[in-house]
Amino acid sequence: MPRIIACFKWVMDEADIKADPKSRQLVLDRVGYKISDYDRNAIEEAVQLQEKHGGSVVGITVATPGAKPCLKDALSRGPEKACFVNDPAFENLDPSQTAAILAAAIDGKIEYDLIICGEGSSDLYAQQVGPALAEKLGIPCATYVNKLTYVEGENKVIAQRKLDDGLETVSVKLPALITVLPDLNTPRIPSLKQVLGAAKKPVDNVSLANLQQTFEPCLKTTGILAATMERRRLKFTADPEDIRKVVDSLIKEGVIA
Amino acid sequence: MAGVWILAESREPTLELLSAGIDIAAQLGVKVAAFALSSQLAEEYIKCGCDEVMLLPPLAAGQPLESYVPVIVEEALLNGPDIILIGASQRGREIAARAAAALNTGLCSGCTGLRLDQEKKQLVMERMLFGGAAVQTVVCETRPQMATIPPRTFEQAQPAEGHQGEVRQLPAAPPSPVTVVERTPKTSEAVDITEAKTVVCVGRGVGKQEDIALARELAGVLGGEVGCSRPVAEDLRWLPEELYLGISGKKVKPDLYIGVGVAGQIQHVSGIRDSKVIVGINRDENAPIFEAADYGIVGDLYDIVPKLVKEIKAALKI
Ligand SMILES: Cc1cc2nc3c(=O)[nH]c(=O)nc-3n(C[C@H](O)[C@H](O)[C@H](O)COP(=O)(O)OP(=O)(O)OC[C@H]3O[C@@H](n4cnc5c(N)ncnc54)[C@H](O)[C@@H]3O)c2cc1C
Ligand SMILES: Nc1ncnc2c1ncn2[C@@H]1O[C@H](COP(=O)(O)O)[C@@H](O)[C@H]1O
Repeated sequence: MPRIIACFKWVMDEADIKADPKSRQLVLDRVGYKISDYDRNAIEEAVQLQEKHGGSVVGITVATPGAKPCLKDALSRGPEKACFVNDPAFENLDPSQTAAILAAAIDGKIEYDLIICGEGSSDLYAQQVGPALAEKLGIPCATYVNKLTYVEGENKVIAQRKLDDGLETVSVKLPALITVLPDLNTPRIPSLKQVLGAAKKPVDNVSLANLQQTFEPCLKTTGILAATMERRRLKFTADPEDIRKVVDSLIKEGVIA
Repeated sequence: MAGVWILAESREPTLELLSAGIDIAAQLGVKVAAFALSSQLAEEYIKCGCDEVMLLPPLAAGQPLESYVPVIVEEALLNGPDIILIGASQRGREIAARAAAALNTGLCSGCTGLRLDQEKKQLVMERMLFGGAAVQTVVCETRPQMATIPPRTFEQAQPAEGHQGEVRQLPAAPPSPVTVVERTPKTSEAVDITEAKTVVCVGRGVGKQEDIALARELAGVLGGEVGCSRPVAEDLRWLPEELYLGISGKKVKPDLYIGVGVAGQIQHVSGIRDSKVIVGINRDENAPIFEAADYGIVGDLYDIVPKLVKEIKAALKI
């Protein structure tokens, strides 16, 4: 019966991010937050494995205290417990810090057989925290997994990895970490009952002081500029005259010939 | 050897990173070393300007390429490179992340541009943030400075007349706890979408796999190719992986891009940003694709695409 940890990140919804075209500064005051897209697949996979094989699922996140709403969101998706590793200092962490903090919060404190991460987070998309965490914990990992089977009685998983040069199926002894692709499963949409039930599930709060370590960044961000694009943004309807106008313009621009 | 190290899965990306590495090494006054998987490749890398090649011995059967991580980490600990540039294939990304964690250093993932700050002897690296909505500039405060770099970011290094270098054999990799039980190499011979002058892109708005024929017809009259969004390739599996565009897929720069039922989320737009002209067809007038398009046509693609084909045929007299 696998004891599973699902790692999830609370991120800004990039669809809400606006930019000031002159200064190229990001305008973030109206952004909403969400569970990072592919982490919903990570949580879903953990919960499906538990439904099939028993065991347990803990969701873990590293965030600032302000990210508290993520707990209800994550718990409504099925995990029975959350570990909220939070501190005001945990803002704009670089992937090496996040991996080190996760390792410190997990190692010797949470019993596990399998850790599941997303392929990459929606904001940084560094694709680092999963494999880096495995390395810190000294456990094997399989990345870019789009099919996962837990082999009962043998304490291992069979994982199909989708790579640039084809598919690779690997066998990994547990404890291990895997990172998942979005085509692995379709995350469930929590029902109202699940949303309400989530508020009653237990949460372990872990602070920086509890970890008794410091976590220095390796990467320093020296600038963030909005990627701007000059486009004409002309709008047309499906009327034949409008379609003709579009075709004429494309010919004039020399992109149709 | 200290200096700049290069690591990539195959020949072309190694040569690309080598040209970048040679440039940086010259500015720093240090040497360039690369990892190679065969002595033949080792010879070629040296001809192309590499000062030292670290030859990785063949892996035992059933061992994935990532099994080399401990060997790479050990070499880095012994020799203290200033910089390690790694090809951003999927395996490359895993190798880089694990090596950086083992070396307690920083890694700039998916680095799209880099230059050297001569004064601080530091790489200034750029990468995309928020699905491509922003560009982040980072420096690495620890050593080695590491980056994974996507293919075709740099031109390949060319053979330099009489260039000499050394080949050093590395120890074998320890047995990996991850073992390969099956490999299915890619079979589909998808077109190279990055070469197409015109790209007609299928999004999830196309309701059925058969209806991709509509997009094919449009591409046909324009002499272009069909590409797609990530979910069309990954979730629906209607088209090969090599054809999806975006931050995690292919980056294209065609003269003309036509999105058919593509929402135009930022992760997709990041891959088509450099197109000369962008046309979006979507029935939702608030779809983000219209923010990214020169010409937006609001309506049902099943109505619009045939009309578009007809008008183009008439205009081009075909
Ligand atoms: C970390 C990360 C990386 C990602 N990388 C990529 C990437 O590289 N490439 C990529 O493409 N995506 C990527 N995505 C996914 C991306 O965020 C979007 O989910 C995806 O691009 C949406 O694909 P779509 O537009 O085909 O589908 P949808 O979002 O489902 O949009 C379909 C559109 O079709 C329109 N439509 C429906 N029916 C019709 C009709 N009959 N006529 C006209 N219009 C119609 C709808 O209005 C809608 O706008 C990534 C996501 C994450 C989190
Ligand atoms: N702050 C975090 N808390 C918990 N898990 C995280 C955090 N950041 C990243 N992860 C996990 O690591 C994966 C890869 O993140 P990244 O390296 O940022 O692309 C994510 O999909 C998550 O599963």
